[in-house]
Amino acid sequence: MSILAVTRREWTGRRNVLLLGLGYSVLQLIGLSFESDMKIAYEKSIFMSVGVGIGLAWVIALLFGATMVSRDLEERRFGFFLNQPLHAAQIFLGKVLAGLGLALLAGLLASVPALLLGGMWRQFLLKDAGSILGIGLAGSLFLLLLFHAVSIQVRSRSLWLLLDLVTWTAFFAGVRWLSQRLMGAWAFQDLVHLWLGLLAGGTLGLGIAGYLQVAQGRADLQRGHRWVSVTLALTAGLLLLAGWVDTAWVLKHRPPVAWTSQPGNRSR
Amino acid sequence: MISQVETLPVACRQVGVRYGRTQAVEEATFQVEPGQVYALLGRNGSGKTSLVRCLLGHQKPTAGRVELYGQDVWSARQALMHRVGVVAEEPDAPPLMTARQLVRFCGGLYPSWDQAGVDERLDRFRIPLDLPFGRLSRGQKGQVALALALGPEPDLLVLDDPTLGLDAVARREVYDELLGELAERGTTVFITTHDLAGIEGLADRIGILHQGRLLVDASLEDLKARHRKVSWAPSQAVAPTDLAPFAPLWSRTGSLGGEAILTQGDPSQLPGLQVHPLSLEELFVALVGEAEVAS
Repeated sequence: MSILAVTRREWTGRRNVLLLGLGYSVLQLIGLSFESDMKIAYEKSIFMSVGVGIGLAWVIALLFGATMVSRDLEERRFGFFLNQPLHAAQIFLGKVLAGLGLALLAGLLASVPALLLGGMWRQFLLKDAGSILGIGLAGSLFLLLLFHAVSIQVRSRSLWLLLDLVTWTAFFAGVRWLSQRLMGAWAFQDLVHLWLGLLAGGTLGLGIAGYLQVAQGRADLQRGHRWVSVTLALTAGLLLLAGWVDTAWVLKHRPPVAWTSQPGNRSR
Repeated sequence: MISQVETLPVACRQVGVRYGRTQAVEEATFQVEPGQVYALLGRNGSGKTSLVRCLLGHQKPTAGRVELYGQDVWSARQALMHRVGVVAEEPDAPPLMTARQLVRFCGGLYPSWDQAGVDERLDRFRIPLDLPFGRLSRGQKGQVALALALGPEPDLLVLDDPTLGLDAVARREVYDELLGELAERGTTVFITTHDLAGIEGLADRIGILHQGRLLVDASLEDLKARHRKVSWAPSQAVAPTDLAPFAPLWSRTGSLGGEAILTQGDPSQLPGLQVHPLSLEELFVALVGEAEVAS
């Protein structure tokens, strides 16, 4: 219940962002009323609204993540939560839930009216809704947690930023190297699996880092930054190690790519 | 059997806080007895807020340990906050929440909540319940924070400069509220303040923090008994050597006569000296001034 109390408190201050979703929806419906070929217009608007819905959810999640704790810390308002009998997990999860809820609802408000009007609700609800919601939600969660961590790193202005830069650089360089190896072996499906695995592992690491920032950093922005930096460095290291093992396994068990071409084939 | 240490509302042991190369608090050791009003005084930047942050588990001390009711506050913050009411130096409630929403939010977090008491206080303070917290005046924000802090009927009340920026009437209301709380429930109070005149009638024990060091930790009664304020007319020739046996903490001579704060002996023995009651403010200025001269 305490988590929901925190969620509700976060909503109180930010629910106005839902107007963005609603506003886009209304604009889209007005735009549709001027179209002559309604069939094509509806199809266009459906793709647009789904795209805009997901995009809006992601932007809201990103902005929410960038401010949900670090702004309170910078404005010295985080103490309000710490002075209540709330566990760090309740504070953090309450805020994350609020961000996800707002992002999701704004995305739905932006996309659902056009879908319903276009007569696609059956197809949408029965076939694609799960994957669209999944993409929207997973992306929102990742961006929210990522920008929470980045905002802590940026706002604390401590020397731990150097470790962050090393971590990010090493991580992206490592991912690029692993990707190139898989692409060189034409293992595109395995490449997608690798990226999805890194994304899932990264989201988990960002979640742990965010929680530790609240639990161990509390009102101390620099201390929180230290926990975020160390957790992310460890996460990046573990993910690269797992990625390297996975790539090595794939390359070992994959038949070699045949590059030979025969003249007879060419003339055919 | 519960030992005395376990029941102590506050126990700070060798607490140190360091920010990089700056030592904000150095080996602060003190304790607060149940039902006591402990006033921590100090100039701006003396380390009071850092100490309060450690005391509330917002910040981990770089050295030492802070215990509330026998439990380390850093590791048991959540459980301890059921027993602690807090009024922060800068009212830190979310600015877009109204007083009504804040009461609902905080009330839902505690197992017991004195809703009638909170409503009565907010009514007495004439707080507009549906105005966002951020739009209330500085005094009203402090009053809302105090009403919320008293809502769970805490055993310990921690007030970080609650009268900062308040006018005389609002300050009086805060102290009246505290007096009422003390009389009714015997709540232990830990308060930091610059309002020495206001706290003088309330405090049992005084701590003076200066440049991160706890200069004084004594009962107000003892402090006043140990220090005497004397004055003399211009016609009286009181030389510094005359005062030396009384170990003056501070003295001043001018065209209107002189005055001094003495730390030992009975100054009435010296002819021409008049002994006056000593205010906390005079004592604070003398002690901190002396420490500044010494450092």
